[in-house]
Amino acid sequence: MSESNKFIFKKYDLDASINRRTAFITIAKAGLFTILVSRLAYLQIVDKDKYKILSDNNRITHRLLEPQRGIIYDLQGKPLAINRERYEVVIIREETSDYIKSIENLKNILPDVKIDTEKLYSEIKKTKKFIPIKVFDDLSWDQFSMLNANIHKVDGLYPQIGFKRYYTGGPSHSHIIGYTAPLNKKEKNTNSLAELSSAKSGKLGIEKSKDPYLRGKLGNKNIEVNANGREIRELDRYESTRGKNIQLTIDSELQDYCYKSLNDQSGCVAVTNIKTGEFHALVSSPSYDPNLFSNNISTAEWNSLTDSIYKPLINKSISSQYPPGSTIKPFVALAALENGITEKREVYCNGKHEIKDTSLESGVKTFHCWKEEGHGNVNMNEALKVSCDVYFYQISREIGINKIAEVCKRFGFGQNVFNSFYEEKKGVVPSKNWKLESIGTPWMVGETLSAGIGQGYFLTTSAQLSLALGQLINGGEKINPTIVLNKKKDTLIKQKIFLNPKHLSIIKKGLEDATNTQGGTSYRSRLSGNLKMAGKTGTSQVRVISSQEREEGLKKNNELPWDQRDHGLFIGYGPINNPQYTVSVIIEHGGSGSGSAAPIASKIFKYLFENKLNLKSKGISNV
Amino acid sequence: MFSSSNAEATIFDKLKSINYFLLFLICTLFFIGILALYSISNGDFSEWPIRHLQRFILGLIIFFSVALLDLKIIFRFAYLIFIISIVTLMILPLVGDEINGAKRWIILAGFSLQPSEFVKYTLILALAKYFHSMEDYHDNLVSKLIIPSFIVLIPVVFVVIQPDLGTAFVIFLGGVSVIWISGLNYKYFISGILGFILSLPILWQYLKGYQKERVFTFFNPERDPLGNGYHITQSKIALGSGGIFGKGYMEGTQSHLNFLPEMQTDFIFTMFGEEFGFIGSIVLILLYMALIGISIRMALTSKSLFSKFLSLGVCSVFFIYVFVNIGMVTGILPVVGVPLPFISYGGSSMLAVMFGFGLLTNCYINYNTTLTKSSFI
Repeated sequence: MSESNKFIFKKYDLDASINRRTAFITIAKAGLFTILVSRLAYLQIVDKDKYKILSDNNRITHRLLEPQRGIIYDLQGKPLAINRERYEVVIIREETSDYIKSIENLKNILPDVKIDTEKLYSEIKKTKKFIPIKVFDDLSWDQFSMLNANIHKVDGLYPQIGFKRYYTGGPSHSHIIGYTAPLNKKEKNTNSLAELSSAKSGKLGIEKSKDPYLRGKLGNKNIEVNANGREIRELDRYESTRGKNIQLTIDSELQDYCYKSLNDQSGCVAVTNIKTGEFHALVSSPSYDPNLFSNNISTAEWNSLTDSIYKPLINKSISSQYPPGSTIKPFVALAALENGITEKREVYCNGKHEIKDTSLESGVKTFHCWKEEGHGNVNMNEALKVSCDVYFYQISREIGINKIAEVCKRFGFGQNVFNSFYEEKKGVVPSKNWKLESIGTPWMVGETLSAGIGQGYFLTTSAQLSLALGQLINGGEKINPTIVLNKKKDTLIKQKIFLNPKHLSIIKKGLEDATNTQGGTSYRSRLSGNLKMAGKTGTSQVRVISSQEREEGLKKNNELPWDQRDHGLFIGYGPINNPQYTVSVIIEHGGSGSGSAAPIASKIFKYLFENKLNLKSKGISNV
Repeated sequence: MFSSSNAEATIFDKLKSINYFLLFLICTLFFIGILALYSISNGDFSEWPIRHLQRFILGLIIFFSVALLDLKIIFRFAYLIFIISIVTLMILPLVGDEINGAKRWIILAGFSLQPSEFVKYTLILALAKYFHSMEDYHDNLVSKLIIPSFIVLIPVVFVVIQPDLGTAFVIFLGGVSVIWISGLNYKYFISGILGFILSLPILWQYLKGYQKERVFTFFNPERDPLGNGYHITQSKIALGSGGIFGKGYMEGTQSHLNFLPEMQTDFIFTMFGEEFGFIGSIVLILLYMALIGISIRMALTSKSLFSKFLSLGVCSVFFIYVFVNIGMVTGILPVVGVPLPFISYGGSSMLAVMFGFGLLTNCYINYNTTLTKSSFI
């Protein structure tokens, strides 16, 4: 040992040394091979199941299949909301060596399409390299074909075909149909399509309320992919389920006609079939192009819609609340009849009605009739015909607010008309309890008078008015209002809202006289011919008129700024001998009901009588 | 086998003396290589398998030429062959073809050759001649280590700067194995290993960024599963998912769906292991073990020191190849780019390994030949 240490090379017999050292090396090699074998045994026997899963995860990818949204049809089977193919382009970073070059090439191929490259590049950098990023959402077919022809020049870019919603009905249908847009944050946790990157949901109207029916179910396919994520073959496929189609009770032609009748004035129309409870038109004006939202609305367009004082985005027929004004009078009259006031009862109208009010210097508060000089002696029929305010002050005071509220609620005031719209407003039917609960102060007599002519706290919607009048005119049969066609369900509920047919004929007579006899408030809008309409005008104030202003002489509506003018309302039914439809028209700040709303209602009735008597639904093809 | 005194040994005699079991094992491994390449080409013989066959035939020619050469000629020109190979390596930065950022190839008569592959064997030639010829074997002068150190370190340095750390490592270990067999006192090996460990922090600074990354990745492949760790991770998944019996020939999903990188060269073992499972892997390793075992036995029959050192050196280099490659694809060694002999697709590697086994066979045929000491080039 000590000897060997002295030498650089071993001093012993060289052959023996070589043999020894070779044996050492050979044993070392055998040992190292044993390590390799153990390692392989570990990978291929012990851990084989774990690696099997990893290998399957590698090669099998789950791709979602977008369902087609259900189609929305009108009463006649005309499609209002359909699906069109959407041509989009996505980029996958890991499939191109130089994405900037690919995008530059894309710009050359499609010079007329604008890309926000800065935003796109930053998104590409932020996103994981194998996730597709949208480059264009909506190309034209020409652009799409052009791109497909040049696809070899743009590595990493993939043209894809998806679906987008297309609305055929134009602006007149925008509010009722609504629109779809990408999911919001909350929906991303709850919506059943949330896994799909291009998922959209209804945001307004039928698209929103019937979204669960319309959206369908996701399909999926398992595909084998290579390391670049490119599809090699399909392993299995579960088709997506198309959303259910929906047929509305809206008659598209009527809807269009009503919209055009409003002639871009700010207002709304509701048309109800009082025999079925179906709403055949629900119009709000002005409107917007519903396809704006399918094609990525620009900020400028969006701002012009939200900033407009005419509020084009709001469905005024259900979401805007107005004081009913004199259109409430038929219902107040019914309340009076039911509470012991006969139709023969006369009230003298000298143009005003005074009540005690100790808070005022004079000790009295004066309520004026719309007609300054007064109507003289009026009974119920006359009061409805000429819309005498003093008559209704008097009878309201006698029966009290709670009786009026009870009757109005029975007809649907203060409640939603449909279950179909999240954006619907309920309106307000004031009563003593209501005031205590929501305002916290006791009821005052003066407020009963205001309520009796549909002013004060009273608020309603166009759809409510149309429904309420329908339930009155059909003899008190409760209507189950609907906008979505449902052939199985009975639309009329066998339930009477009021029982006395005599009361009905008194009110009907008043309304018929209001339209069809001289001196009636809507006489100028009467229809000639066999089929006639009848109805009640309403003019509702949006401001309080001070006594000083009254002394100085009332300003005419057209002298006031637009948003201080009175709303014009009209509710009517027809044909009068066999009522089929009710129509309510509200013109925002239209000045007066007789001047602005009644002529439009008259046009609509004329159209209904000529074209739409006995409207029946037509079947839809379930494609 | 024939006696060296019989100078008239004919080619026929020599051919008879060749160890045909060794040749059979080589052919078997080559055939496995063809099978694997055929699978990778998705059943197309015309690209990789056919060229692999051409190279093997060329390799056989080299094998027989070298094996049948006079051992004395090989001995005489050992230094010269080494110097030529080193010069080729040195001029590579000037004339070499750059592939993937590394200058490793030289174009010679239409072949692109990788000089570093041949240096592994010429280095052993030179060392064998040096230790064979060393005067006064029992002298204790440290100076006797100077020349062998240069013989090992010059090629290592030039391969490192290519940069090709893996091949440099194989060359280095091959040289060290010959020095070990020559009988250098083990104290020097122990101090050498200690010195290497102590100098690691300094060497580390000379490593290129991607090389450092590979080392990091080796210790933690999940650190960057889509980057540097990708190779190791995917290779392990492929082997592991092959299980005991494999996914079946040409059914390997990892390889056929391109999850495996460089599967026709460095990762071909993985592809084989995925399709033939643990059983296939073991059979392949047993074949290599048998080849190495026979080679060592053949080496020990030689009488001259030169033949012994040369043959045992060839065995060591071959073993290091196999071990580093399989160790790399199974994740116990860093990914360094060393091919699997006879199976990986690659011309230089095939020709060089056939050159090596040619030398081994030559020593075996001429086991009885005695060689005089010679320090001349």
